[in-house]
Amino acid sequence: MNQENENPDLTEDEKKLFKDLMPEDLKEIMDTGFSRRHFLKLISIAGTGVLASHLLGAEQLLARPLAQPSLNELTTAQVENGVRVSFKVNGFNKNLLVDSRMTLLDTVRERMELTGAKKGCDHGQCGACTMIVDGKRILSCLTLAASCEGKSVTTIEGIANGTDLHPIQAAFIKHDSFQCGYCTPGQICSAVALLAEAKNGEVSYVTDQVNVPKKPLQLSENEIRERMSGNICRCGAYPNIVAAIREVQSGKSVEQKWNFAG
Amino acid sequence: MRPFKYTHVNTVQSATQLVSTHSNAKFLAGGTNILDLMKEDVERPDELLDITFLKVADIKMITEGPNKGGVSLGALSNNTETANHELIRLNHPLLTQAILAGASAQIRNMATNGGNLMQRTRCPYFYDVDMPCNKRVPGSGCGAMEGINRMHAIFGWSSKCIAVYPSDMAVALAVLDATVQVANSKGQQRRIAFTDFHRLPGENPEKDNNLLPGELITAIELPPNKFASHSYYLKVRDRASYAFALVSVAAGLELNGNNIVQAKIALGGVAHKPWRALRAEELLKGKEATEANFQAAAEAEMNQAKPLEYNRFKVELGKRAIVRALDMAMNNGSK
Amino acid sequence: MEANKLTGTPVDRIDGLLKVTGKATYATDYPVKNMAYAYLFKSTIAAGTITKIDSTEALKVPGVLSVITHLNAPKLNEKGGLRGGALLQGPDIEFYGQHIGIVVAETFEQARHASRLVKVEYHKSEAKVDFEKLKKDAVPSKNEDLKRGDVDAVFNQADFAIDELYATPIEHHHPMEPHATIAVWEGEKVTLYNGSQIINGAQSSAANTLNIKSENVRIVSPHIGGGFGSKGGQWANLVLAAVAAKMISRPVHLALSRQQMFNSVGLRQHNDQRIRLAADKDGKLLALAHQTTTHCAINDEFVEPCGDCSKVMYEVPNSLISYRVIPMNIIIPTYTRGPGKSTGSFALESAIDELAFKLKMDPIDFRLKNEPAKDPSNGKPWSSRKLVECLKEGAKAFGWDKRSAQPGVTQLGDYLIGYGVACGTYPARQRDSSAIIKLIRTGNKVKAIVEQAAADLGTGTYTILTQTAADGLGLPISQVQVTIGDSDLPPAAGSVGSVGAASYANAVNEACEKITNELLAKSGKQFFVRPTAAQLMLSEGIDAFQTRMDAKSPEGADAYSAHSFNANFAEVWVNRSTGMTTVKRFLAVTAAGKILNPKTARSQIIGGNIWGIGMALTEESIIDPRWGNFITRSLADYHVPANLDIGDMETIFIRENDIIPNKMGIKGIGEVGIVGVAAAVANAIFNATGKRIRHLPITPDKLI
Repeated sequence: MNQENENPDLTEDEKKLFKDLMPEDLKEIMDTGFSRRHFLKLISIAGTGVLASHLLGAEQLLARPLAQPSLNELTTAQVENGVRVSFKVNGFNKNLLVDSRMTLLDTVRERMELTGAKKGCDHGQCGACTMIVDGKRILSCLTLAASCEGKSVTTIEGIANGTDLHPIQAAFIKHDSFQCGYCTPGQICSAVALLAEAKNGEVSYVTDQVNVPKKPLQLSENEIRERMSGNICRCGAYPNIVAAIREVQSGKSVEQKWNFAG
Repeated sequence: MRPFKYTHVNTVQSATQLVSTHSNAKFLAGGTNILDLMKEDVERPDELLDITFLKVADIKMITEGPNKGGVSLGALSNNTETANHELIRLNHPLLTQAILAGASAQIRNMATNGGNLMQRTRCPYFYDVDMPCNKRVPGSGCGAMEGINRMHAIFGWSSKCIAVYPSDMAVALAVLDATVQVANSKGQQRRIAFTDFHRLPGENPEKDNNLLPGELITAIELPPNKFASHSYYLKVRDRASYAFALVSVAAGLELNGNNIVQAKIALGGVAHKPWRALRAEELLKGKEATEANFQAAAEAEMNQAKPLEYNRFKVELGKRAIVRALDMAMNNGSK
Repeated sequence: MEANKLTGTPVDRIDGLLKVTGKATYATDYPVKNMAYAYLFKSTIAAGTITKIDSTEALKVPGVLSVITHLNAPKLNEKGGLRGGALLQGPDIEFYGQHIGIVVAETFEQARHASRLVKVEYHKSEAKVDFEKLKKDAVPSKNEDLKRGDVDAVFNQADFAIDELYATPIEHHHPMEPHATIAVWEGEKVTLYNGSQIINGAQSSAANTLNIKSENVRIVSPHIGGGFGSKGGQWANLVLAAVAAKMISRPVHLALSRQQMFNSVGLRQHNDQRIRLAADKDGKLLALAHQTTTHCAINDEFVEPCGDCSKVMYEVPNSLISYRVIPMNIIIPTYTRGPGKSTGSFALESAIDELAFKLKMDPIDFRLKNEPAKDPSNGKPWSSRKLVECLKEGAKAFGWDKRSAQPGVTQLGDYLIGYGVACGTYPARQRDSSAIIKLIRTGNKVKAIVEQAAADLGTGTYTILTQTAADGLGLPISQVQVTIGDSDLPPAAGSVGSVGAASYANAVNEACEKITNELLAKSGKQFFVRPTAAQLMLSEGIDAFQTRMDAKSPEGADAYSAHSFNANFAEVWVNRSTGMTTVKRFLAVTAAGKILNPKTARSQIIGGNIWGIGMALTEESIIDPRWGNFITRSLADYHVPANLDIGDMETIFIRENDIIPNKMGIKGIGEVGIVGVAAAVANAIFNATGKRIRHLPITPDKLI
């Protein structure tokens, strides 16, 4: 198999960066921006068995069917300017009557028992409500449910693949990328979408040269910081969020920085 | 948020007709500003016309313009796809930078180009319905004039309003000599030079721009420019990202060797519209691209400013920002 | 401790899986059936009385179930322990944005809309909201002045002295989870789903305010979306949800909007701090005066103790710590991360830097020169004090020797680069807490359930208690289940004032010892090597066994002064053109006793550091004195640091084995991480630019 032709977008730098990866990893990284297999290897080195209990927990937690969430139907008396709307949430078709004022965030939280997405500000100023709609990260607090007709919505509850945590989720645990956890669903949805944006070659305000053709990007810490700045974390887990994303995006283990002295 | 009727519209024609006949209807595109304002009770439409289901070909395409390097931006293309479109990145990198300096990735994925031009001010007195604001309630007074006006205008304000226009994208569009294309309910098209699109507050701060009732922005057209390799968008703000500008500068330099054929400069965060620094541009024309000339041009421009109690710093900051942006433009944005 | 294997190791956060999958439940995440939605509305004056409330239009809105104001609200006990008043008990208005009513409706959209339609008329009286104008009227606070020697006399004759005013603005906690409550009544009993840093305190204050028995109130708070002090003492929302639920006989969901957070749940007060500092030519401190002027509620005092660090940091023979306070029509201030110490250390440690510069001494040497052998404020011996180690290890790790003593000379392109150092401290304490341990044997496996009304607001409580119990019982982590955050569990201290870890973990540790002893006694056998509880369950074939431990703070600890200490090092890059500052590198070196889990502890320290960077550079709440309202009333106006604001963050822990404050040697780290940070950044900015900024935050306009 001719790897050059398989991955025409790969630069020499990126090849160097990924030189310790297997060809399968490379392909997966090109397809998805990360390597599951390689990532699990990193985790098993770092976790020293402690994580095993978590992964066991993950299976138990996620083995429950991903809540074919119940729809709390409203009566017409409860709805002014009702709009009937159909869209997919985490792969399931939903059809419901909503008040025209109802946001996607409130619809998912109050009508579908999917309370993972959080209301931090309700005005587009914190990112806690971030969801992925048709592959793009958006703010569900500034999205009307009525405007989601025909769209495909992914919430934090739909990020894991069956019983497998998404590598971003696993990396968030490994790097302690949260404290209170309230912003975490939004951070993770944001980070997952960010991987695709980088793969798609999207630039940011801190990118040195923007007047170049698109190609998959390996993100520096500063690039990740800027691209994640729409997700406020009041506990201050930013360095750990950056570490988790960097590890997944690069496929290379990122060191934690703490030391004991004295 | 008051109750409103939600309506899908399918054609530009029906959108403009509905908005003309339904007196308190508004368009809904990305929703990032209007829903925010409706939750604050600042905007109170009784109908939202969702235009996001309009056909791609009508209003969502980013296409090469008639002249090489010129581009037409669909009004409903979102900020992210615009900033990252190769026609923009390669020919109008200033616009890429300006768009990416604004808001967050999530918001840019939602916000549209047309919507960006329709943003309303972030003046806190405008946003709080319990405060006086001539823009929100004409005749109620300006809360900011004698209030906390650190974020407010230093150019072009009036006794009625000192608000600033919040967009970054628009500052670049002012420099790029863009044209706004609009359609009305009679099927007519109209083109408005970008610098004439937004207004100064004057006696009618409730009017942000010169759109006529019933008009819908369909596209923004960019002519080719000669400064793609010498441009920069600088944004100065209170935190490093996800904050509105204290002062921003869009700068483009058309050079002949080290001589400035033409300089294009606009400022954000200083006026009710993107502020073209015409005096500075004039002074730089035909001059050598030196620090001293940049400094002189910045001084000349900013010395016309009329600061308020808490925003005097914007005069000095504006000077420095202009010089820095021109320096960066000379170095092709290399930091 | 030699038998311990898991405490002290970087175990991944136990609640991590729930948090990364969106399954951790916060206050409004419970699928309560038949729930109605409440929305608060607030006063638009800062002082006066309500003369009329007209709810007619609001009540016409489809779906509206009730409008509750002081006209129809039930009588509550206003001294029941909630903070901030605003319980709809009368027409008087004490601050702008005081709650004056609630609309309850079938849906959130209806309630929010209808809340805008209530018409309120007021009789306005003159409001005290302008701090600058009222300063001269400040009165002594309840905190007594602390005087030692004669500061004035020494100050006037000293070779080297500074006398400066340092100001810190009003700040808001802004946990990502706005305060919210779901109230569900079942007969006489009410369950309140509500994020609570002090579970039992929330329970008793809700019960007292509602005039019902504590056992009739249950607080459910397994996960808290941040608190930082604002969810310690509880606020009106907790009880108003219960009132609304009672009145409409349905469960009620009441969440504050982010805008409402500015005047509902306290704040960090504005502090004007005058520091006078004098030293002899050798750098020996002679006098230190730290005089704070601040504000409190119009009829209730809370003052964060800005002078606390100045009491204990340095050896100084003449000292004065004082507080003057202005009652104002602003919501009462409350505990905010590192209360007093974070803001106070900004003033003290900036002043130390200023005086060191005057003395032409390295600021680290200056500090080392004034290291006290015992607590200067009370003469007690230190339980341990490793500030010197913090400074020395930090200087080495940070590369302090590369710092230019001369400000404004280190440049790179358009950036001015500077290094700064500043220290901090926070007291270490243990509070009474109880715990129940249940052991269950299934075949040859033993499982433990640990129960305690403890709180985890991201502090790592689940994780450290799991580690502690696993070690104490001889079980792997996977066999320990920690259940906390519910007032039905054995009572415990709050997760406030850095007492959480010490109080919780010591109680669990003692419960483990107790249950092991009880199992030993039950076995009636003698062992050469003490077996673990898990081994005893197996060897004795016991199916289920439990015990309860009521742990007390240790006797004799009061004879000592017990504190955590830190040294903070910042490298800043200030853009010469724009005045924008980046903290490129930050190192916190902390001596905080036993570190139970370096991974979660590091997160706590970094979190505190980032709060301090926010304090230094971005955070400020501004009042318009004409109305008394906050004009920075959203997260777009109030700038919490964003990801790009934060550079490389490094953490070093100084090993410390100090079992005086408590048996496990835990000092607590929630607060100390913010103390000294703002000063380190401000000192670095001085080193970079030569500009001494004494009024936070240091926004670009102050550096051009």
